[in-house]
Formats: sequence, structure tokens, C-alpha cells
Amino acid sequence: MKNILEVKHLNKTYSIGKLESQHVLKDINLEIKEGEFVSVMGPSGSGKSTLLYNISGMDKFSSGSVVFAEKDISTMSEEALSKLRLNTMGFIFQQSNLLKNLNVFDNIILSAYLAKSESRKKINKRAIELMRKTGIAEISNHDITQASGGQLQRVSICRALINNPDIIFGDEPTGALNTKATNEVMEILADINQSGTTIMLVTHDVKVAAKTERILFMLDGQIVSDKYLGKYEKGENDIKIREERLLMWLSRMGF
Amino acid sequence: MRGKVNNMIGRMLKKDLLRNRIITLTLSAFIMLSSLLIASAVGIMVDLFVSMDKLFQKSNAPHFVQMHSGEIDQRLIDKFSFDNELVKEQQTVEMINIDGSNIFLNESQRAENESVMDISFVKQNPSFDFLLNLENQVIKVSQGEIGVPIYYMQQNDLNIGDKIWVANGNFKKEFMIKAFVRDVQMNPSIVSSKRFVINDQDWNIVKANIGESEYLIEFLLTDLDKITEFESMYQSADLPQKGPKITYSLFKTLNALSEGIVALVIVLISLLLIAIAILCIRFTMMTTMEEDYREIGVMKGIGIQSKDIQKLYLTKYIVIAAVASIGGFVLSIFVGHIFTANIALYMGTAEKTVLHYFVPLIGTMVVFIAVLFYCQLVLRKFRRITAIEALRAGSSLDNRQSWRVFKLQKSKFPNVNVFLGIKDVFERFKVYGLVCFVFILSTFIIIVPVNFLNTVESPGFITYMGAGKSDIRIDLQQSMDVGQRFTDMQYYIENDSTVEKYSALVTSTIKILNSEGTYENINVEIGDFTVFPLEYLKGSAPKHKNDIALSYMKANELEKNVGDVLVLIVNGQKQELTICGIYQDISNGGKTAKALLPYDSKNILWYVVNLDVKTGVDVNEKIEEYKKVFYPAKVTDMDEYLSQTLGTTINQLKVVTVSSIVIAISIAVLITGMFFTMLIAKDAIQITIMKSLGFSNRDIQVQYITRSLLVLLIGIVFGTFIAGTLGQELVSLLGSFMGASNIKFVVNSLVSYILCPLLLIIAVTITTLINSMEIKKRGDFKIKAE
Repeated sequence: MKNILEVKHLNKTYSIGKLESQHVLKDINLEIKEGEFVSVMGPSGSGKSTLLYNISGMDKFSSGSVVFAEKDISTMSEEALSKLRLNTMGFIFQQSNLLKNLNVFDNIILSAYLAKSESRKKINKRAIELMRKTGIAEISNHDITQASGGQLQRVSICRALINNPDIIFGDEPTGALNTKATNEVMEILADINQSGTTIMLVTHDVKVAAKTERILFMLDGQIVSDKYLGKYEKGENDIKIREERLLMWLSRMGF
Repeated sequence: MRGKVNNMIGRMLKKDLLRNRIITLTLSAFIMLSSLLIASAVGIMVDLFVSMDKLFQKSNAPHFVQMHSGEIDQRLIDKFSFDNELVKEQQTVEMINIDGSNIFLNESQRAENESVMDISFVKQNPSFDFLLNLENQVIKVSQGEIGVPIYYMQQNDLNIGDKIWVANGNFKKEFMIKAFVRDVQMNPSIVSSKRFVINDQDWNIVKANIGESEYLIEFLLTDLDKITEFESMYQSADLPQKGPKITYSLFKTLNALSEGIVALVIVLISLLLIAIAILCIRFTMMTTMEEDYREIGVMKGIGIQSKDIQKLYLTKYIVIAAVASIGGFVLSIFVGHIFTANIALYMGTAEKTVLHYFVPLIGTMVVFIAVLFYCQLVLRKFRRITAIEALRAGSSLDNRQSWRVFKLQKSKFPNVNVFLGIKDVFERFKVYGLVCFVFILSTFIIIVPVNFLNTVESPGFITYMGAGKSDIRIDLQQSMDVGQRFTDMQYYIENDSTVEKYSALVTSTIKILNSEGTYENINVEIGDFTVFPLEYLKGSAPKHKNDIALSYMKANELEKNVGDVLVLIVNGQKQELTICGIYQDISNGGKTAKALLPYDSKNILWYVVNLDVKTGVDVNEKIEEYKKVFYPAKVTDMDEYLSQTLGTTINQLKVVTVSSIVIAISIAVLITGMFFTMLIAKDAIQITIMKSLGFSNRDIQVQYITRSLLVLLIGIVFGTFIAGTLGQELVSLLGSFMGASNIKFVVNSLVSYILCPLLLIIAVTITTLINSMEIKKRGDFKIKAE
């Protein structure tokens, strides 16, 4: 498998006032292979989200390099980074972060209409298909204020998938959901991953991380451990075993 | 608890002021400016009335003045005065009229022949109507010295000690400027006569050599309330009255008018600024409250009362409004003299009284209270927020529901960003209301003066001056042999084969019976009005001997309409004429008439000949020919006549138009800047989301520019429409005070519909572009994430 993401000596420093600064990411080195399902864990303030935003080109890092799909993003212009995000990346946030003046369907198709990589007819067709798969076909014309939290998160998953991205980044995508909705969303993500899309998500939830293939543990701006759990098969009976293995590993980390 | 709340209010206030630095500053600037302007305008009025009172008192202003050109019999006037118990004192002022071509000011070798003013030389008056110097003292001049009206000091940049000359043929006399004249009767620049004061001996010399006399028959009355009564008495008596009459109240109005208008305009601008400030406050408050929605919920949740939360928000605006209003007031004390400089010059410096400070302070307080009152209104929304609602919803005060007309899925717009911009404007129009209003206003402020200027400059404007359009106009003013010259002129034109058609019109004073049952004088133009027809508001030109047409203002004053009967004294006989038409006329005070009456050659004021030359004849050559032949008659083509008569008005109007454009563009730029700064701040989360989806800064900029251009376009369309309808009505309303009640704009489409909108579009686009740079700063995903 080829690497989709190569991170070398990545550092991120925030300046606080004129004299002080905060070193949030410290010399991160990381490789993620195509089709991997990776989760990032760690205590609050350990730099998980910062890592996600820096390697996806949404934030500018202080030093080091990030090569995404063989392209060095550190040298890219803001315009080129936007294009890269539009065509090759999908994002799912803790809050669904949908545009409030668009209805469900328009939120999903928006970035595809902007990218113009396909005809609008084809885009609409694929959106309907994605909504059917994620079980939200019936709310297609609803206003986003009329949908539940779980439904909204599925809308944002559809939105992330509409441009057939190479990778999906998730920042606590199930953080605001109940157990049932969390399980449903994770099943959908597992499906997506099985069809070949790389997924990298930040989570606090052991149950969520247990369904991913590889877990990175961050502490104080560094990746202190990298655990390979193996592919999770949908409907797998040994999910409890995976969770226990993970918990043991985490307790060794002091989490 | 209360102490804690107050403490918290202090901290939040500080935080809030710092957080919205630009908005706070802009808002303060608006309030300060409107407070400054209100205080200054009120200051002008106080100063105006105090100074005017002093001037009227010092100069001992006459209560009734009848101007007269022609011979007078002082014995008759004396008898009338002696018999009339209303007369306290009477004096007759003899003025020597000096033609502009005979006077040279400011050592320039150029005569004042283009001056719009009627210049006359007088002696200092013995008992009242004193001509004062700049210290408000009665001017005393020795031989060779002269007192020059303030108007010329300003116009020609004259100084005490400068030399001026009068010359006529071989006669030449030099004067040295001793003082500048404050003239209670003729001070204002809108009064087209000016009095120069010279020594009695000099006056006799000038009289013997130049000009003709005109008289001011002046009265001081015992009872000021009985001026109207006295006026009727005078008019009914057989006394000299070939000329306008002016009363005490008219002197006051004329003196107050120009400065009064300035004060009024300043008040209007100030009201506009307050309106804008208030709308901005509404917007800022809504934005801040929306951002703080959760905090409000939390505060309510922990039991802080709505009242206290309101106080928290109100405090900020109390602080801003108070600081800005007081700032404006203090500033007005320092810069107020700029506005009152003209009053000080023309009427003298009024001593500062408590009123000078107290009244403007009240004006300032009105601004302050208006702002606070509005804040209270907006804050009522607080009561509607429940704690749970705030905590659950976490956003949005504007309860926008699923009113989604524009669906991306169904749209045919190839550009997603343009679509999003348009969608937002139509679906959130309430938010854009303020800018849209400002754009409508800006367009209105630009288009109305531009259209009006173009109308005044067009040759068709002659129709508002009670005259038809013709190639050449010849004006003959009163002089000794004018009757003969007029006959000669008619004969010459009659026999000129290059003349297509002509009409000779004579203006004479005739007595008419007014609505109060007394007789008054009216200027009646007599001649054939069918040769150069005029557009009538109602009815048509007089065609029969018993027809009379009235100007709009005269008809209004007499409360007469077409078909009504009017009683006149013609050649000593009572005659009834039927009103056949009403026309617009802004010339000669706007109160004139037209008829086909026989005229008394003794009562003629002036003669006018209009003529058209045959095709192929060069108008300019003809004018030159007539200028030589008919000297000293004034021969002009229509454009020149208009530009000479309206020259100053047009120049003033040009200044007004340019200022309007500058003001309108500045307001548009300022409000656009402020609005989009706030909107981008308000939309920060949405912008961040779009960026995460792959929208570039430029994509989002396109959305904001689409919004501003669309709102601007709506504003321009409405503004232009309102300018063409309401604006025209407004100009007509203002015009009706001068005699033209139905002014139709002559529109230069290129300027009004293309260049002016383009100017606004460019200004607004650049502003939005600069503002949307702010978008680059938005998109701190980290903050949203953790």
C-alpha cells in the first residue's frame, strides 16, 4: 500500500502575546497508508485536533513537511489548498457544522457544485444514493433545524463523501451523539472505509476508537504510541475484545 | 448580588468595547458628529436671532419701505405722514443708481458690469435705517471716503484703505474704503440691491454726473402690529409706488433666510446621521446578542434577572452615547464659530449668553435620549429569550424559519458563489434593509441635484421664468428716453428682413383688487403671447382684451383660479378681467401677470423683445449687430440670458451637486464598510465551514461582493425611481415658494442613469473588496474544534 500522508518533523507553535509562545505540536513524524482507518486519542489539550487541522492544510504549521498524495502542502498557496480540500478531502466535525441557510440536500451537494467535476445531474443522483445509504433520504428537503443530531451528522457524512474524497478527517464526529446514533455513524464510516476511503478521526471515545484499525496516542504535543488493532469487520462479534485490549493499552498510557 | 452584577457589568463592558473596537469607534463617530451638528445648528439659530435683534436695534430698521423709480412729490408724502397717526417717523432716501459698467472695485480695471447686483450710492440717513460699520456703529464718511457693502468685501476681497472708482465718460471719481457696510435692508446676498455710503458733498457730485435716482420711502410706525393695515393705507393713497414694497417682517425673513437654511440643512443631515447611528446600533446589538446568546441563557439560568442583563448591554450604549454626545457638544463650542462666521460678519458678533450654551446642550441631550430610547426598544427582545431556549439553540435571535425560496438543487446559476450571494440577500433581506436604505438614500441624494442642475441648465428652463423660448431676447430698462428707444427698436426689427418673427412685451404696474378688498400693485406684462407660447399650468395664454393670466404665486396669493374674475384699475377705470391661465414664473419675486391691456407709458417698468431669426442667419452675428444698434439695451441669446440671470444660482447648484455626490458616496462607503465588517463578524462560523469544505477566500469574497452589488442595484433602482418621482415633487415644492410649482426634470440619461450609478458601484465594490479581506482572518478551525 502507498502512503497517502507523510508527515515529517511537524511543529506548531502559537505565540501568546509578544514574549511567550506555546509549542502545541512537537516534531511529529507520521505515515498513513491508503485505505487505513486511523483514530487519534489523547487527553484534552494534547494537540489531537491541531494535528488534524495542520495535516489537512486548514491551519498553517510552523515547521516540517506534510506530503499528501505525493504533494507537499507546505508550499501550496491558500487557493491551491482550498482546491485540494475541495477535491480530495472530506471533513466531519463534532457539531455537524452545516450551513444554516441551505436545506439538507443543498448542504450535501454544495461542494460538488463548486468543484464542478461532474454534471449536476450526476451529483444529484449520487447525493440521493448517499442519503439512501445513510438512511436520511426522507429528510432530503428538510431544513437543517428540523433534523435530529444523529441525522445532521449523517448529512455531514454525505457532504464529506460527495466529492469522492481520498481521505476523510473527523474531529470528534460522534462527540455530540448518543450511543445509538454513535454506533450507526461508526457503522457507516466502517462501510466507507471498506470501500477504500482513508479515514482519520480524533476521538475520546474508546468504543469509537475500537472500531478503527490503528490508534495514535498523543500526549503533550507528541505521538507517544501507535497501536495497530487490525481491520474491524462490520458486525464483528469480538468488538468487546477489541475494546478491552484498547482499554488496557490506554491504561498503560495513563489515560 | 447587586455589587457582583455591577462588577460583572464593568468587566463585560471593557471586554465588549475592546472586542468590537472598530464598531464602537464608528458608532461613537456617528453619534458625535450628529451631536456636533445638532448643537451647531441650534447654536446658529440662537446666534442668528441674538445678532439679528442687535443689528435691527442698532440700525433702527424701518418698518415699511416703498421703493420707487421716477419723480416724487415729498410734500404729498409729508402730508400723508402728518395725517396718519400710525406714522412715527418718515424719511425719504434718494439713491443714485450706478450701472455696473461705471464702477471699478479693488483697483482692478474691470468694471462690475457682470454683477447681478443693483448698485446705488447713498448718504448716511439722519434719523433711522442707519448704515453700520463692522463694529455696528453708524458710519461717518468724509469727502473721498466710501462705505462698501460687506457683500463686495467678500466677493472682491476688499480691505479698508483700498481704492475704488466711479467713472462715466469724462467724469471719474476716486474713493478710499473707510468702512464696510452692514445694511439691515440689503445685507443678504439674496437681496439684489446694495447700498454704498458716501459723503454728502461727494454724493451731490456723483448725482450731477452719473446715474439716475431711485427712492426709498421709509416709515417708522407707532405700532408694529399694524404694518399690514398701514400698507393698505399707503397703497390706497395716491403716493409714489413704482417699485416693490418691503416690510419689517420681510427684512427679518430675508436676513434670517440664508443662515436659517444653513441651520436647517445641518439639522437634516444630523437627523440622517442619527437615523444611521440608530440602525447601526440595532445591527450591532443584534450581532452581539446573537454571539452572546448562550451567555444570556447561562445568566438567566443562574438567576440573573432580565433587567440586570439588559442593564449590562444598555450600559455599553449609555457610555458610548454619553461620551460621544458630550464630545460633540464640546467640539461644537470650539468649531461653532466656523458655522457662525457669516452671521458674525453680516450681523455682528453677538455677546455669548447662557442661551448660547444651554440651547445647544439641550440639542445634544435630545440626540443622547433618542439613542438610549432606541436601545431600550431593541433590548425588549431579551424578555422573550428563555434560558432553556438559549442553551439549546445556542444561536440565532432572528427566528428564521424554513423560508427557502432559492434552492441550489433547482438553480440554473453556473456560479455557486453568485447564487449563494443572491440567495442570502433575498432570504435575509431584513438584515440588508439598513444598507439598502442607505443606498436608496445615496442614490436619491446624488440623482436629485444632478437632475435639477441639468434642468436649470437646459434652455427649456426659460418656461419657469414666465417666458417662451426664442432665439434672441432684448431687455430694455427704465431710462429717460426709453419709450422712444423702444419704438425705434420695434421699427428697426420690423424692417429687418432676417427676422422670422418677434414679439414686443411691455411690463407695467397696474392696480388690482386683492382678496382683502384693497388695491395693490402688480407687474403686468402686456403684448402678444401667442408668438412665443409658454406652457401653462392651467388654462392658456390671454387671447382677448378681458383675459388675464396670473403667475402661480400671484394666483395663490389672490386665492384665484382659472375662470375667476379679477378687478383692475386700467387708465383710472375699473375693469373686470377673467383669469384665463396660470403659469410658472420664478422671476421678479414670482408674482406677475400677463394681459392684452392698454398701458400707461408713465407706469412702465421695462421692455422686452423676443425674436427668432430666419434659418441660415447667424444668431451671434445678429446679437452683435443689435448690441451696437440698440446700445445700452441688453441683447442675449436664450442660453446667455439664462446663464446671466441664473448664473449665480447655477454656480451654487453646482457646488451643492458636487457636495451631495461627495456626501452620498462617503455615506455609502462608510455604511458599506461598517455593515460588511459586522456581517463578516456575524457570519464567521459560516465562513469557517465553507473554508473547510474547500471554498477559497476568493470564492467567499465573490459571495460578499455579489451581496453588496445586488443590494446596491436594488438601492439604485429604487433611489432613481424615487428621485424621479418624489424628488421631482420635492423640487417642485421648493420651487413653488419661488413661483415654479411643476418642475419637470430634464434628465441627462448618460449622467443620471449610467455615470452616477457607476460611481456608486465602483465606490461600494472597492469598499466591500477591502472589507472582505477580513475573510482571510476568519477560519480559525482550532477555536471551533476544542
